[in-house]
Amino acid sequence: MRNPLADVSIPVLDDLVESDYVRSLIVGTVGVLGALLVLGTLFPDSVAGDLSGIVFSTSTAASTARLAAPIVLAGLGGIFAEKSGVINIGLEGLLIISAFASVYVASVVGIGNAVLGVPAIWVGFLAGIAASTALAAVFGIVCIEFKADQIIAGLAVWLIALGLAPFMSTVFFGGVNTPNLGARVSWRYSAVMVVVATLASWWALNRTAFGKHLRAAGENPKALDTVGVSVSKVRHAGVLLSGVLSGVGGSALALSIGQFVGSGETMVQGKGFIAIVAYLFGNYNPLGTLGAGVLFAGLDAIQIRLQQLGYAIPDTLVQTIPYVVVILVLALVGRTRLPEAAGEHYETED
Amino acid sequence: MSRSDAGSDDAGESDRLPSIARRVVAPFVDRTVAERLVISVAAILLSIVVGFAIVLVSGRVAQCGTAAWTMPLTGIGFCYDPVEVYLVLFNGALGYPFAVGEPGLFNPNWTPFNLSLGLTLSETTLLIFTGLSVAVAFRAGLFNIGTQGQLVVGALATALTVLAAAPFLPEGPVAGVALIVVGTLAGAVGGGFWGAIPGALKAYADANEVITTIMLNFIAANIAYVLVLEVFRAEGSSVVATEYVPEHARFLPWFFPESSDFALLALLVGFGFIGGLYYLVEHTSFGYDLRTSGVQAAAAEYGGVNAKATTVRAMTLSGAIGGVGGAVWVLMSEGRWLESVPALGFDGITVSILAGNNPLGVLPAAFLFGLLKGGALEIGFRTDVPTELVGVLRGLIILFVAMPEFFRMAGRYAGLGSRGPRGPDAGGSGETEPADDAAAVEGGEADA
Repeated sequence: MRNPLADVSIPVLDDLVESDYVRSLIVGTVGVLGALLVLGTLFPDSVAGDLSGIVFSTSTAASTARLAAPIVLAGLGGIFAEKSGVINIGLEGLLIISAFASVYVASVVGIGNAVLGVPAIWVGFLAGIAASTALAAVFGIVCIEFKADQIIAGLAVWLIALGLAPFMSTVFFGGVNTPNLGARVSWRYSAVMVVVATLASWWALNRTAFGKHLRAAGENPKALDTVGVSVSKVRHAGVLLSGVLSGVGGSALALSIGQFVGSGETMVQGKGFIAIVAYLFGNYNPLGTLGAGVLFAGLDAIQIRLQQLGYAIPDTLVQTIPYVVVILVLALVGRTRLPEAAGEHYETED
Repeated sequence: MSRSDAGSDDAGESDRLPSIARRVVAPFVDRTVAERLVISVAAILLSIVVGFAIVLVSGRVAQCGTAAWTMPLTGIGFCYDPVEVYLVLFNGALGYPFAVGEPGLFNPNWTPFNLSLGLTLSETTLLIFTGLSVAVAFRAGLFNIGTQGQLVVGALATALTVLAAAPFLPEGPVAGVALIVVGTLAGAVGGGFWGAIPGALKAYADANEVITTIMLNFIAANIAYVLVLEVFRAEGSSVVATEYVPEHARFLPWFFPESSDFALLALLVGFGFIGGLYYLVEHTSFGYDLRTSGVQAAAAEYGGVNAKATTVRAMTLSGAIGGVGGAVWVLMSEGRWLESVPALGFDGITVSILAGNNPLGVLPAAFLFGLLKGGALEIGFRTDVPTELVGVLRGLIILFVAMPEFFRMAGRYAGLGSRGPRGPDAGGSGETEPADDAAAVEGGEADA
């Protein structure tokens, strides 16, 4: 199906965004926001006026950054894993485990204390990253060394984290929700980390030898093996990076509130799955992933503000929009192409 | 599908399977039933071993007055007693048929119709339906993560249909049977419709069913919630729920206590579904289409199977079974549609994976997870260990089931599988079964 927006050309971005698909997404988003701004300025008393007031307000920006951080960062991680040939459907589990570990370690260190000059909350942040990376390492070993099925192992990672985090929370704090730390990481840090991670990921994937190896491991592992690079090592690196990035996302999510909520689907609430959707939506491009993640998070943030202004839209319906959009895009705009060898095991012929 | 054709025209790689879902299915189809069984049992044992370690470690960090368990030889005290945890888990889930610490092996006061076993069997019954739902899709090479959404839609359809039809029928057993049949059919239609959507998207728009079914789960939960909140909410109800369906339109708990929410009839219906689906998948032409398109879509297409139609049919059937699961949930467990539907659909994935996607295997797998569920409640009553432990065990079982190569390696390492090279495609031979099993667990302990 031909996409009518694909022909629009943006000179500045052309260099960065090679895919027509990503470009049309960006143009579409910018177009909608622009139209909203114009309408809102022309008719300040209408719904559009309210809406543009919300969309372009600082508090919306803050909650968007807070909500987008786990989605975008886990999505970036998912790109690294999947580009290397390991489909990581366990991003949700990595977010859950890092969210809990960050709050737990921060509370063990004690807010106000510091380890080696690092304040407790940032020690917690690093611990969250470490926990997520460790779980990703297990996932990598299981998938690459023991040739486990990636989708099922990914589901297992999610289920294990979904059980383990509330379990540990009950062991340590006597309930599935941890007490509030009384300190939090400002949304500005989250925003900066998201942008930095996006640009760094783009650079690593497209401008470094590692990025080339990563893509080769996913597209044509035999060729990579032939030139003397270990496919297993590259894939392990990809999976570990997905753990690191998801860890940043999970820590940012929990520490931006200062608490881990472990009831039901935990505070992560499917953001790991939305992350998968975000990078598929962005066609494995970090910038596209950023766009999709901000779009989903922004819709959520706007919805929260709309409730506060008294628009009687059931919030659950607004939360449904991203999911419907994803299905429509998958059905109409076309599928995204998986790396050729994603999901397959690679046997070295020594 | 066209992409997969291009991928598989390599003569040397005829076994290379195209989509993710087909790769997922391949190991289950290639392996023999015996080896699958061994790996499932080994995975359960290994996860019990790892769970033992987790209970010990968390018992070391938890705060308590007196040690519940002291490690032999070392004298180190632990807050939680892992032996007791497992005794309570499995014994308690059955209603304590075994007398622990008393003279005699069996508890003389035990009857099979107790509350705990009722709860366990109630969960088993529900998991049979969701497990079958996932298994049918799996066999067609489709990874239906959307059973949860199909169950939610089916459950709502059942509740609303029965509520709407009940006033037109006189109270009584005949009307009850009619309402149950109509309600279950409504659940099947609702779930089938919700399953047909990702099937059609997969067949005609090439949209990955893993993604679309995950999305449709969220959509189903949200839409059902809003519908009940805004339109169908029972008056004066503190939670978001529909009215209760009339008593006579529910599955009755014949022998079991009413609070166990278990009806023997529903379990028998589940048995019927297991047998029916086994026959359908293994012995009918539709089942043949289903399996061949699951194993090798291009070959199936060449052999005259309409792969697109099969995809839609398989997903519709899968969704319909999930919807029946929703109907049973409403008519047996809750008596109404209620927000926060339990994650039966997701558990169905774990049941199906453990069962090797074989309809007959769904029964023991569903019973095992039913035991875990029933035992979790007992753990909550009788021990200080958080019941979330059971969730961890569930995840571990799935993780270990997913890595058959690990058990083969462990078997080889122990010198038991060294009779010949056993590639990933070589099925396990029957005679090494018990030995393999034991070796796998030993290997696992060393690893953990």
